[in-house]
Amino acid sequence: MTDFPTAGAPDPAPVSTDDRRQGEARDELPPRQCPACGTPNPADSSFCEACGADLVVTARASAGADPGATEATGPGSGDGPVMASAAPQTAPAGEESPLDVGWTGAVPVAPEAAADDELMCHACGQGRIVDGYCDHCGTPPPNPRDHFVESPAPWVGGVCDIGRRHTRNEDAMALSATEAPGSRAVLVVCDGVSMASDSHIASLAAATEARAVLDQPFARGVGTPDAWAATAGRALTTAVTRANEAVIAAVVEDVPNPPSCTFAAAVVEDGVVVAGNVGDSRVYWLPDSDQEPAVQLGRDDSFAQEQMVAGVPRLEAETGPHAHSITRWLGKDAPDDLTPHLTTMTATAGWLLVCSDGLWNYCSEAEALRALLHGVAAGTDGTDGTDGTDGTDGTDGTDGTDRATPTVLAQALVDFANEQGGRDNITVALARLAGRGSTTTSEPAATTAPVEGDRADG
Amino acid sequence: MADFTAEVFQNEFLPDGGTDVHAIVRITSTGASAASASGALADPGSAAEVILIDTSGSMGRRGVAAAGEAAKAALAEIVDGTLFSIVAGNGTAQIVYPYSHQGALVAMSSHTRGEASRAIEGLRANGGTAMGTWLTLARQIFETVPHVTKRHAILLTDGVNEGETPQSLQAAVRSCVGVFQCDCRGVGDQWRVDEVRGIASALLGSVDLIPAPEEMAAEFQSMMRASMSRGVASSELRVWVPQGAELLFVKQVSPTLEDLTPRRTVVNPLTGAYPTGAWSDETRDYHVAVRLPARTLGQEQLAARVQLSLGGDPVAQGLVKAKWSNDDSLTTRIDPAVAAYTGQAELATTIQEGLAAKAAGQDDVATAKLGRAVQLAGLTGNDEMTTRLKKVVDIDDVDTGTVRLKKGASKIDELSLDTASTKTSRVRR
Repeated sequence: MTDFPTAGAPDPAPVSTDDRRQGEARDELPPRQCPACGTPNPADSSFCEACGADLVVTARASAGADPGATEATGPGSGDGPVMASAAPQTAPAGEESPLDVGWTGAVPVAPEAAADDELMCHACGQGRIVDGYCDHCGTPPPNPRDHFVESPAPWVGGVCDIGRRHTRNEDAMALSATEAPGSRAVLVVCDGVSMASDSHIASLAAATEARAVLDQPFARGVGTPDAWAATAGRALTTAVTRANEAVIAAVVEDVPNPPSCTFAAAVVEDGVVVAGNVGDSRVYWLPDSDQEPAVQLGRDDSFAQEQMVAGVPRLEAETGPHAHSITRWLGKDAPDDLTPHLTTMTATAGWLLVCSDGLWNYCSEAEALRALLHGVAAGTDGTDGTDGTDGTDGTDGTDGTDRATPTVLAQALVDFANEQGGRDNITVALARLAGRGSTTTSEPAATTAPVEGDRADG
Repeated sequence: MADFTAEVFQNEFLPDGGTDVHAIVRITSTGASAASASGALADPGSAAEVILIDTSGSMGRRGVAAAGEAAKAALAEIVDGTLFSIVAGNGTAQIVYPYSHQGALVAMSSHTRGEASRAIEGLRANGGTAMGTWLTLARQIFETVPHVTKRHAILLTDGVNEGETPQSLQAAVRSCVGVFQCDCRGVGDQWRVDEVRGIASALLGSVDLIPAPEEMAAEFQSMMRASMSRGVASSELRVWVPQGAELLFVKQVSPTLEDLTPRRTVVNPLTGAYPTGAWSDETRDYHVAVRLPARTLGQEQLAARVQLSLGGDPVAQGLVKAKWSNDDSLTTRIDPAVAAYTGQAELATTIQEGLAAKAAGQDDVATAKLGRAVQLAGLTGNDEMTTRLKKVVDIDDVDTGTVRLKKGASKIDELSLDTASTKTSRVRR
């Protein structure tokens, strides 16, 4: 609320009242109460110490609604007759302007209704949230960490979900995208290791840190695909390193099981894709055309993978006793070599999928996953109200994959995993790529052969 | 001003399909005994005391004299400014002091204390016992001062209530509920614990045994001192459970066992209130059990909200939670406080049933029950109760609960065991 536009207000009356209000607000700040579980946290906390809810995001969200509600409704609260001539006036909602005399900030439409809505119980719809629980049915408000959705652009979206069996969501996801389809997107998924403590905090720290690194456009170099692949590979490796540092920094105490997590990221830049992973979170390329194979980009660092390399069939390896033991991870006790398995490719029309094992546990083969995606797309009506424009080039897919938005499809895949049992946390991030229709920098010939490039940084 | 705090002891984790949540809610008050500290009532006339003395023929000259000394000891503890009255009871009840021209109650001062002491000297043992009439008179006395919020009585008896029907006594007790609190004491071995416990329990008071008349004075002194220290007049425990949940029971489990479940009054469809009586600086533990419809694994729910409410305002609150988990290491743990109080409650019930069976001549039932009690006391390490049980039964084997009823067990020992059964030892954390 400190950046609320009051400092430049033309008369001192609103400034003084606002100062007072802000003073009160500052007094209330220090114990930052968790909106999800009610636990007081130190003011500088980013996450709730008790439940791991993201305090910054929720604080920002509520700051968007609250200060306007309190400060815009108090015109000249008796600050002396001197100010009577310049009493702040507030235009009707939507018509206010900084040029108005005594402008007191944008008026949120029906702020009280919005505040009420926050307090209403979403489970039963009858009670209000008191002390962190509904006073009618006793249900706490949903923990924002347990299920969150990101839709940075109409062509990129993802869902991170707690699943059905776990009590905490240790998966994390961080997405970003520019508006133009296929132009630039970053998709990061990290899966906290549940044997370790506070992995839900660590995984989110890793994902957001990696996104921050990858959000910087890659240097073009000499402009050749090889040069781009080398730059992109270096950027991904840097992202892993920084994410690893974030995991280590996430928990200061010396705990017996330091938090750790996996890493899977894909970056789209003008229709070209670079993917990298550490651990068993995966990036898949699922092209629309049946002529082109669906593939997993990179490979798992897992016991199951090692068994498959040794010749054990996939199904057997992935359902074996130590199938989910990973051989590389991010964290304090991480192995020294954290170079991600890197892949670069120029995309045709299709879906780029980044997911945690919560999804692929139930559908591991890339071809099966493509069939599943096309199946759920046919099942969704393709509209989630956001009028998804995904830059389709007119090739008439026989299913709905070119009409459904990424977020709707990601939710559908999460639903699928939950219906299969939801034994683990589930994260699905999708980017819709349209191939030749929107990519200009790539040659069609290069599109069919994803290149495994483990040494791309060298 | 009194401060209240609430703590909750529970294992909030339920297994898949689990429905029952048990919790101990500990409520502690501090700063409640302001009145006794100053030696005089801060607000004269805000408290009233009635002393009910048994003057039936069975008390005898010695008994009545000792009761008189006890009443005087109690008078010495009543702080100046407190309204008080002394009632003598046998088949009927009459006000001994204040004198009729002074009204039903008079404020304590050195003058009235002296007058009351002299009035007590004139008491004589005579007639039967009809405690219902005593309680009714006490109620009428208290009803003359409706503005007084803190109302307390001490009842002393030595015999069975043979002067009226049980129904008549019950009706009298019911009419007194909510009007005043009453601590009850039985002297000698001719009174019935269940009868007197019924009165004390309904009127939010304690019940205990005074083995010999000479011990009455000390007991009266401590009872009155305790009453004087209760600076918070009256409060209630409020228990909210969510829609669809069933409140299985609400029990006070410390310092004494008291099932509050039937005393519920409805605050709203989800909330019930249970009277707690007055508070001094003390700690009381309540056991709350709630049955919830099972939720899916990973879900969380508020199972109960337990508040102490003064005049309708919550002053302390404990939240009882439920979380469904598939982690056996979490769900199989029983909270030590819940376990200990559950054990103590079962021990109390078993002892009372055993003694009742013995009194009814059902020696085999009594042997089985008291044997189980010995076993429970042994399991929970309740040495005090084991010692009391030993006076009533001969123990062959604690572990299996093998006992024989003692032939020459004294009535006093049985009464002592019975009255002690509901006193619990506080579970430490």
